[in-house]
Amino acid sequence: MKNVLAFAACCAFAWQAAPAYARPVSYAGGWMAMQTNDADSHSLEIGFSPTHRYALGYLGEYWRDGDWQFHGVNANWLAKRWNLPSSQANIYLRGAVGVAYSDFGAWDGKSEPAATLGFSADWEDRRYYTSYDNRYVEAGDIDHFLMQKARVGIAPYIGGYGDLHTWLMLEVSHNPTREDTFTLTPMVRLFKGDYLGELGISDKGDVLFNLTLQF
Amino acid sequence: MKYILTIFALMITTPAFAAEECNALDVKVTGLVCDFCARSIEKTFGKREEVEDVKVDLDAGNIHLVLKAGQKLEEAELKQLITNAGYDMISVEKGCPNE
Repeated sequence: MKNVLAFAACCAFAWQAAPAYARPVSYAGGWMAMQTNDADSHSLEIGFSPTHRYALGYLGEYWRDGDWQFHGVNANWLAKRWNLPSSQANIYLRGAVGVAYSDFGAWDGKSEPAATLGFSADWEDRRYYTSYDNRYVEAGDIDHFLMQKARVGIAPYIGGYGDLHTWLMLEVSHNPTREDTFTLTPMVRLFKGDYLGELGISDKGDVLFNLTLQF
Repeated sequence: MKYILTIFALMITTPAFAAEECNALDVKVTGLVCDFCARSIEKTFGKREEVEDVKVDLDAGNIHLVLKAGQKLEEAELKQLITNAGYDMISVEKGCPNE
């Protein structure tokens, strides 16, 4: 039941959510909300960017296999951006500190201080997209692991400003806590205006559904 | 006589057109490849009192700004606003037609 409630809490905020690796730092003075769901976790991230270099906010996650939650303060830092004539590349550092809570098995009702630290890199032009993302999660006795994700994408057509944009993407993820550690997820990314959504189904049959909103 | 009248008419009307202030800018930037990300430009300039309209051209890597009458944006300030939106400004020029 608590699992259902945790999932429902994430979904309740889905109206203001966004995709995991779309753009973790907004423009100066901008807000962003991201909500993600995949085989590993459900998450909600809401952040404010005082400058175009970093964002601060809230991160809440529910990890499905370990059956535990994380709630904490999140920071994303744009370490480097290359603005090129027809492409853009970025390197981000991402971290969060907070509390992990589990009501699963031996950890029934247990809370632990927890933190995450990760590195993201992406490159895109108007036709091709590629990204890499890793993340170390430390939740004391409850859980700890390093997971990685990489994506490639292609736009089947080049849309103009204000059009509906479509990307076909393939994500490969590695999570050592899963029995089958590698997962392949083909997906579609759509965005128009301030809204970005992603929908995919993994080779294990798990649904990926991400939403992002900037405001 | 017709020529004189024509020249006279031109002398009267041309200054009127010339007096109209060109209040648009074309800003060339790099990194302008993603529509979703480029929303930051609209939001950044949309908050500015000087700006009446913003148009982003992903194909040309260009931002067309229409300023309100009597308003102006200095190049240094424009460059900072572009930076705040996450892009790099290459050049800026008057964005009025026939110039």
